[in-house]
Amino acid sequence: MMLTRKSAGAPAHLSSSRLSRSLSGMLAKTIDRRTFLKRSGVAAGAGAFASQLSFSMIGKAEAAAETSGSIEVKRSVCTHCSVGCAIDAVVQNGVWVRQEPVFDSPLNLGAHCAKGASVREHGMTEHSHRLKYPMKLVNGKYQRLSWDQAINEIGDRLLAIRKESGPDAFYVVGSSKHNNEQSMLLRKWVSLWGSNNCDHQARICHSTTVAGVAQTWGYGAMTNSYNDMQNTKCAMYIGSNAAEAHPVSMLHMLHAKETGAKMIVVDPRFTRTAAKADEYVRIRSGTDIPFLFGMLHIIFKNGWEDKKYIHDRVYGMQQVREEVLKKWTPEEVQNVTGVPPEQLQKITEMFAKNRPSTIVWCMGQTQHTIGNAVVRASCILQLALGNIGVSGGGANIFRGHDNVQGATDVGPNPDTLPGYYPVAVPGSWAHWARVWNVDLKWLQDRFAPGMMGKPGMTVSRWIDGVMEKNENIDQDSNIRAMVYWGHAPNSQTRGLEMVKAMKMLDMMIVIDPYPSATAAMAAMPVEGVQEKAGRGVYLLPAATQFETEGSCTASNRSLQWREKVIDPLFESRSDQAIMLAFAKKLGFEDQFLGRKDGKQNLRVLKTKGGYDEPSMEDTLANEINRGAWTIGYTGQSPQRLQAHMRNMHVFDVKTLRARGGKDAKTGYDLTGDYFGLPWPCYGTPAFKHPGSPNLYDTSKSVMDGGGDFRAIFGMERDGVNLLAEDGSHPKGADITTGHPQFDHVLLKKLGWWDELTDEEKKEAEGKTWATDLSGGIIRVTMKNHGCHPFGNAKARAIVWNFPDGIPQHREPLYGIRADLVDKYPTHDDVKVFWRLPTLYKSVQDRNKNIGKDFPIVLTSGRLVEYEGGGEETRSNPWLAELMQENFVEINPKAAADRGIRNGEQVWVKTPTGARLKVTAKITEGVGPDHAFIPFHFSGWWQGKDMLPYYPDGAAPIVRGEAVNTATTYGYDRVTMMQESKTTVCQIERA
Amino acid sequence: MTTARRFVLAGAAVFFVAVGLSACGERDQVTVYKQGKYQGKPDTKPWENGPESSLYTTSQWDQGNKTSWEAAVKTRNLAQNEYNRVE
Amino acid sequence: MARMKFLCDAERCIECNGCVTACKNENEVPWGVNRRRVVTINDGVVGAEKSISVACMHCSDAPCMAVCPVDCFYRTDEGVVLHDKDLCIGCGYCFYACPFGAPQFPQAGAFGLRGKMDKCTFCAGGPEKDLSKEEFAKYGSNRLAQGKLPACAEMCSTKALLGGDGDVIADIYRQRVFKRGKGSEVWGWGTAYGKPDQPKAAPAGAKS
Repeated sequence: MMLTRKSAGAPAHLSSSRLSRSLSGMLAKTIDRRTFLKRSGVAAGAGAFASQLSFSMIGKAEAAAETSGSIEVKRSVCTHCSVGCAIDAVVQNGVWVRQEPVFDSPLNLGAHCAKGASVREHGMTEHSHRLKYPMKLVNGKYQRLSWDQAINEIGDRLLAIRKESGPDAFYVVGSSKHNNEQSMLLRKWVSLWGSNNCDHQARICHSTTVAGVAQTWGYGAMTNSYNDMQNTKCAMYIGSNAAEAHPVSMLHMLHAKETGAKMIVVDPRFTRTAAKADEYVRIRSGTDIPFLFGMLHIIFKNGWEDKKYIHDRVYGMQQVREEVLKKWTPEEVQNVTGVPPEQLQKITEMFAKNRPSTIVWCMGQTQHTIGNAVVRASCILQLALGNIGVSGGGANIFRGHDNVQGATDVGPNPDTLPGYYPVAVPGSWAHWARVWNVDLKWLQDRFAPGMMGKPGMTVSRWIDGVMEKNENIDQDSNIRAMVYWGHAPNSQTRGLEMVKAMKMLDMMIVIDPYPSATAAMAAMPVEGVQEKAGRGVYLLPAATQFETEGSCTASNRSLQWREKVIDPLFESRSDQAIMLAFAKKLGFEDQFLGRKDGKQNLRVLKTKGGYDEPSMEDTLANEINRGAWTIGYTGQSPQRLQAHMRNMHVFDVKTLRARGGKDAKTGYDLTGDYFGLPWPCYGTPAFKHPGSPNLYDTSKSVMDGGGDFRAIFGMERDGVNLLAEDGSHPKGADITTGHPQFDHVLLKKLGWWDELTDEEKKEAEGKTWATDLSGGIIRVTMKNHGCHPFGNAKARAIVWNFPDGIPQHREPLYGIRADLVDKYPTHDDVKVFWRLPTLYKSVQDRNKNIGKDFPIVLTSGRLVEYEGGGEETRSNPWLAELMQENFVEINPKAAADRGIRNGEQVWVKTPTGARLKVTAKITEGVGPDHAFIPFHFSGWWQGKDMLPYYPDGAAPIVRGEAVNTATTYGYDRVTMMQESKTTVCQIERA
Repeated sequence: MTTARRFVLAGAAVFFVAVGLSACGERDQVTVYKQGKYQGKPDTKPWENGPESSLYTTSQWDQGNKTSWEAAVKTRNLAQNEYNRVE
Repeated sequence: MARMKFLCDAERCIECNGCVTACKNENEVPWGVNRRRVVTINDGVVGAEKSISVACMHCSDAPCMAVCPVDCFYRTDEGVVLHDKDLCIGCGYCFYACPFGAPQFPQAGAFGLRGKMDKCTFCAGGPEKDLSKEEFAKYGSNRLAQGKLPACAEMCSTKALLGGDGDVIADIYRQRVFKRGKGSEVWGWGTAYGKPDQPKAAPAGAKS
């Protein structure tokens, strides 16, 4: 052959250029396939080398460039769900360059889900889809304006509207993503404006839980914790897809499973959580009460209930027992829920015989017209088994957003002030006026006459506040202006009507790090609806929680302090700065800062951007800690919380207790504290209460985090004692039987009054434990006598002040079982409910046979990649890539009947007349009569992309149909929670 | 065409291909390509860097000391086992 | 001597994609290139759904290394399989050879127009100066040089994905399996770390 191997020569010299090395090497070989390919590669690609070198980087400007410049490590908390995973943010020259896991955290041990692992994207400025500067809608397009312009224009309009129509014409939707300080400030802000028309995501999330559970035993929050689930022997997830909604909670659950716990999942869908279950139960959406009472039926029949516990600590179980045994036989349960009797028997045995057992629920239980009753059925089940107040048991309610718990506790609720002090009680206002250092008379005059004690409208119905006839609403004027302050619109039902309501407003404001679907929905033209003349739509860029400091409350009630990672990006400002600016413009800056009589509650800090903002530490220390006595938000001072965040490693993972430890920075002794001082953390910070990891736990003393059930329902009912029986009390309590809550009268009666110091006596005179600003009543009661200041009572199995004292199953307003509508009808219509007429029976009757045309039950829920309304997470390329289109889960039979193939586009139609264009995902996960669409999408409207209506450069990467565009009317009878978990639809090929 | 002719033509074609291509690589033959051996840039070992080279790390080891680096990494590895902190 | 390996516990993987995103975040991998993916089988089938996280396993006898026509692969002392992007010609052979589908290409196309192969580096960077801008731009983060382990394994939401010294993670896994009494499959280890000419070298209970 002509071509022979040339002599090899010296070995490859490492310092010579790569190109020359490769080329020269090639000539030495014979022509074989490899060599031939190599040569063609070289010939064709010589120039191509350079272009193939780097892969396009996101955030090139932020690439870590060796160790130059100042480097800081800030500890923060993920802003997505309520697990509260800690994050160490590495900041170089003010730029957030790296994100590290915090293995020390007892809550997440360094673990993250996709969302937590991607939070650094919030700090990236290149290719950012954030709202960068204030904008205003002009002729259908969003144009930029300055902050001063925006505040002045908005402020002037608000003042004009207030003058013409009163303060109630302005609706404020606040946020569960605000930290505790911002949440409380927003509630104050709305109060100073003179209205109760405010709300936040908790309404459409766990409002039924909070109401139902609080009315059962005292506090409406998760009784135990994610960590405590490691102690359980059997966990039942009913209406919870924790693997996608709270992924890191599965770390604790799977650990528990490995050490012997059983796991049951009850859900209309076979979810990722169900994939890990020992037993999966398929149930018809909305039939939780029959299911739970079916379990109770078997428990009572077999005598598995905890009789002593019921005798000592529960009221009304006897009536429940009678009703359950009569009504909810296994056959009837199967008729209503679809669960076979054998399976019901099996899991009931599993749950009752493996105690302590815990129940976990989320939206599956709460988002129904009977949500308040459903959650109470779960509570009753746990009370019957004696699982409440026990480690490994409890009602483990997984809250949603990162601070929905905190926002509910101290934030913008329409019916309560911070700490659940009811607006209907004048004493609540007196209390908070004192704490806020605001003149009570001035505050009362801010409200329209008669409105101060009236709970406001809910976020689930603000659109009716705009559109309903004026004579039917329980306030002077319809809603004329509203602000979506950190809240998405596509998480509320009846989207078709919402766009109409948006057009009818005089002014619409969005304050958010992202424009959110609201911006597009407000700009989009709506057929047949005339936009109100002179309507103003404004978008104001808010900073994320990484651009401010503050505390947030995880679902297990632990508070964590976030350090500020970076300064607000672009022209965004922190929410507290925005609140202060508007307070100034609207004329209540002094009251907002608590400035009166030479005192000022909140220091004003100057920001890098040159504008002012109130101090978050002062908000916590001087207002929340001083005022929220009822739920024990008083002991968690900024200093204690920060010490906890610096020393996470000393906390035990199972018990959350610090075995020892001293904070190096401040010398604070951590011994005995529970991580994050889970509320209630009673008394002043100096009182050093350790927090309460598991609520209502009588096996511990009150100074050790123990407790009992709250005495707020009275002393007796129908001759039956409502207080706890003899012998049931927290460990070591001086009073060994039930007792009412403590006030100055009871203290004097018991002869403990003189244990107060003179200072404390002065303040506590005439007060209860919840309004005594000195904390003396709490100190004496708890420290000296081991008693619980809120009393020691029985939990109520019958909540007589609710429409259904014993939970009753009622069919959803839109369902496919016309036969059961007659047997289990819904409530009667209500003329005035949260200021609005609310329909039940008339809607259900009208739609009794809707199943003929819409034979599939449509339910919605979460995905792991996205959070809430989704605009924030769908703007993150790392997350958006994982889930690029909205889809409907449809059963193979249902798909075959309609000729639908996997991956095809389909139209999902509902009785509202709306239709959604989504991709069909054929799966056995849903039954033949159910379908599922995730609710995180928005940006498509009935088949059309809404991209043109977003501000330039600020639309999310992934857009899709919002399932709530098509969802139907239906609200909980107590809290106005929307019935989004069950409506009906028809699906057909597009 | 005879076989021999074909052979010569094929050989000529190959010859011209080889000659045609050889022009693009007239370089001194100091380096040689050895099939099966890595041909790329050299890489340093991780422990040849010290902890101070990184922006932020909690691991501690002596620069240049392989055993101490391995110990640091193994310690960090234990964080992936939650059984170390809870039974 | 540390021999780096990955192990994904299918009993714990909940398909949260935390590993996928952690990798994207840490290495700033662009859209379209997925160094790590979660694979789910029997989605929606009661009792049969299982998920597992897959990326380069850094095999003992790496097929990618064996077939590469330009020999751009090398193995570090810890057993991490890396490659030199400057040499890579984008032929795609390594992708054909890899049983795990680890090699990724930024562009589609034949005839070497795929671009430079990219794959999981065990967060060990590549053949550029450690922790330099160039190393980050080409290969992503070098966590090993910082005394850390891959971001995916460190951030896994349920600690299903273990990454680190093979002995250490085998121990962690063994402890878990012992506790739960089942689920001892070591997915992929036979293929990746067992020697092909000695099939018995794969640990007992290894699947595929």
